[in-house]
Amino acid sequence: MSDIRQNKLFTLLLLSIAWLSLDVHALFEPQLKSAEYWVTNEFQPSTLTQAEQMQEMNWFVEASKPYFGLQIRVVSERIATHGYEASVLAKAFFEITGIHVVHELTGEDDVINKLSAQIFTHQNLYDAYINDSDLIGTHFRSNAVLPLSDFMKNEGAAVTLPTLDLQDFIGLKFTTGPDGKLYQLPDQQFANLYWYRHDWFNREDFKQRFRLRYGYELGVPQNWQAYEDIAEFFSDDVKEIEGKRIYGHMDYAKTDPSLGWRMSDAWLSMAGVGDKGLPNGLPVDEWGIRVEQCRPVGASVERGGALNGPASVYAVDKFIYWLHRFAPEESIELNFTQAGEWPGKGLIAQQIFWYTAFVADLTKPGLPVMNPDGTPKWRVAPSPVGKYWQDGMKSGYQDTGAWTLLKNTPLERQQAAWLYAQFVVSKTVSLKKTLVGLTPIRLSDIESDVMTQRAPYLGGLVEFYRSRGRDVWTPTGTNVPDYPGLANYWWHYISQIIEGKVTVQKGMDNFAAAVDKRLKRIGKRADMKCAPKLNPISKREFWLNAPGAPKREISATQVGKTLSYEEAINVWK
Amino acid sequence: MFGSSDYVSLQWLSAIGLSLLISLSVRAETIEVLTYEESPFAVKVGKTHHGLLVDMLKEMFSRTSLDYKLRFIPLKRAIVTTERMPGHCVLPVARSQEREAHFHWISPVLVSRYGLFSRSNQTIPLTSLSDAKPYKIGSFLGSGIGEYLTDLGYDVELASVSAQNLRKLKRARIELWAAELVSAQEQMQKQAINFGVPELIFYTSLRAMACNKEMPREQTLALENALKSMYRDGYMSRLYLEYGVKI
Repeated sequence: MSDIRQNKLFTLLLLSIAWLSLDVHALFEPQLKSAEYWVTNEFQPSTLTQAEQMQEMNWFVEASKPYFGLQIRVVSERIATHGYEASVLAKAFFEITGIHVVHELTGEDDVINKLSAQIFTHQNLYDAYINDSDLIGTHFRSNAVLPLSDFMKNEGAAVTLPTLDLQDFIGLKFTTGPDGKLYQLPDQQFANLYWYRHDWFNREDFKQRFRLRYGYELGVPQNWQAYEDIAEFFSDDVKEIEGKRIYGHMDYAKTDPSLGWRMSDAWLSMAGVGDKGLPNGLPVDEWGIRVEQCRPVGASVERGGALNGPASVYAVDKFIYWLHRFAPEESIELNFTQAGEWPGKGLIAQQIFWYTAFVADLTKPGLPVMNPDGTPKWRVAPSPVGKYWQDGMKSGYQDTGAWTLLKNTPLERQQAAWLYAQFVVSKTVSLKKTLVGLTPIRLSDIESDVMTQRAPYLGGLVEFYRSRGRDVWTPTGTNVPDYPGLANYWWHYISQIIEGKVTVQKGMDNFAAAVDKRLKRIGKRADMKCAPKLNPISKREFWLNAPGAPKREISATQVGKTLSYEEAINVWK
Repeated sequence: MFGSSDYVSLQWLSAIGLSLLISLSVRAETIEVLTYEESPFAVKVGKTHHGLLVDMLKEMFSRTSLDYKLRFIPLKRAIVTTERMPGHCVLPVARSQEREAHFHWISPVLVSRYGLFSRSNQTIPLTSLSDAKPYKIGSFLGSGIGEYLTDLGYDVELASVSAQNLRKLKRARIELWAAELVSAQEQMQKQAINFGVPELIFYTSLRAMACNKEMPREQTLALENALKSMYRDGYMSRLYLEYGVKI
């Protein structure tokens, strides 16, 4: 081949490459323009500069090219954060990447049913699910959920965002299995905290009356005895404020699935039923189930669990006593949603267990619980703990909705869904999403100046997420091996106790026996990792005399303890 | 007489006992499956039954050693009967948390996808469901999907029966029609109106077969395994395709 011919061929090759790149660039120019539009008009504020945001978006444009024109399906529960994703972020993602996402909203129970159905049928019903990390114990055992840490190293490497910055996610421990693998990527988080009327607690007349009657200061209760004293003070002593009947406690107890969440979301842990350990106690914690070498070995005291132990009976007893004694008469007939409206009416002094997902609803201007300047009259603070609780144990519940991919979804669709999942949690988008839904997941957002400015309007939410409280308030742990199967047991057995059909002890004995039976059944599944293997039945005294949970009965009553709001917040630090 | 009377009583009691035993053993073997008319899933013409669910049931039981008898009664009565009487199942039923603890569940027996159809001469590009906010959407009274859209704040107009929506859409009295895809295919065929493919498939619902809680574990397990194999070997996908829809 002559030199001239070689040169011509080389030039032609260069021209072709240049033409091809120009063409590809031209082809994807609308995506880049869209990215610019969305960054400028919607994704503000952000912890990134606009130039950094555009760099991140350029990566999405490039990485998504092989999936251009694909339609994928994802499903999540119906809360404000996911509403924003479904109606705004899915559209932005389509315009930036050409991947069409149908983001479906439904009830969390339906999300679980759909995820279970895909595992059962092998039909690819959805390409990704945003599902509570409460299922981590089920997921890591199932062999059906894609371990994201493996995926990011292998088939998902080319579609894993270089600026994802996993260590910036505050809920990563909640979505990691005992095998050290990450199974889910957090998308939104909210906690159950103590809620109270900061303005009432600061009234000098109330402070003085409380001190005279109980011998200590009216403040944020640190234990259940103080919570009970404050409930009694407002319900029985104060009784009325500005001519309206007020209450020292609020709860709900209708025979309804939401009664199950009221109890299963760490109520027993707050009483101190389990052992020490974060995010969850070991060997006993969530739902009183004991694990040994990652295998659940029983829920009943007779098998080393704590579901029907003295601490559990104390926890349920207190729930029922406070409900009947201090809450509004209607509360026994209310479910979760109906009860959620009550604090906003301005008649409730405190609530031991309040979902921060309601912050947006309770900061609406004009509510009786809001000041004219837009600051709330209420605060959230660390929840008081029961008499069995010890330092080093989880203090409350936090829900982490997280991206979950299933192994039986075709690879191309897993990859496209993974791109969308990372997009809606990316630093370009996440601060804006946090401001819309108030369900933060990234430390960089929580520590941003924007959140500092918003803090006075959010009643302590920002302070909570800036403290170690975010690690001490945790979801259901890995010792619950079949969350979907066992979750319904809660409302079924607790409602029998509340309706007076059985005593608390008998009801919890029945409950523990049913859980043991279920554990035994699922332990027969040969393919399950860390499958349950029940301990033999022993005398209760054997386990009650052993160290840790299940714990022996503590007959002594607590001495009430309170702190000022500032001191209480410092406890989180 | 006393003696003979005793003898007669014993004979009579034995006969009752025997018939009870027979009926119990039949009941143990023959499961009464209750359903209700919903075309094209379950349709009764005289003594014959046909439809997607009828085909599915036939296949599912054929993969077990269990016998069944299909009976059509209204849904509410079917649910109450199944809850109270052993040996009964009802389908298709929405598996809600409220119902969860009252039955044994075989699920999913029906995978329903819902789409938004526009007139054949008009395109309404829908990237997400929220793009449908400005439009009037047709559904029908008692429809779960109508309630779903109403709860989310969409402008939903409910017809008394689903079939009216096709005429309403054709005459531009509504701009979008929210319909289950298998039903939509059948209705378009029946009324000779073709709106083509939906602008957006926006929701999936799963329905189940609920069985009396006393149903022996080995029976529910056999049915679950049969259903699982039907999905995994492609039977269900082929069945849905016969009705014009991909799962």
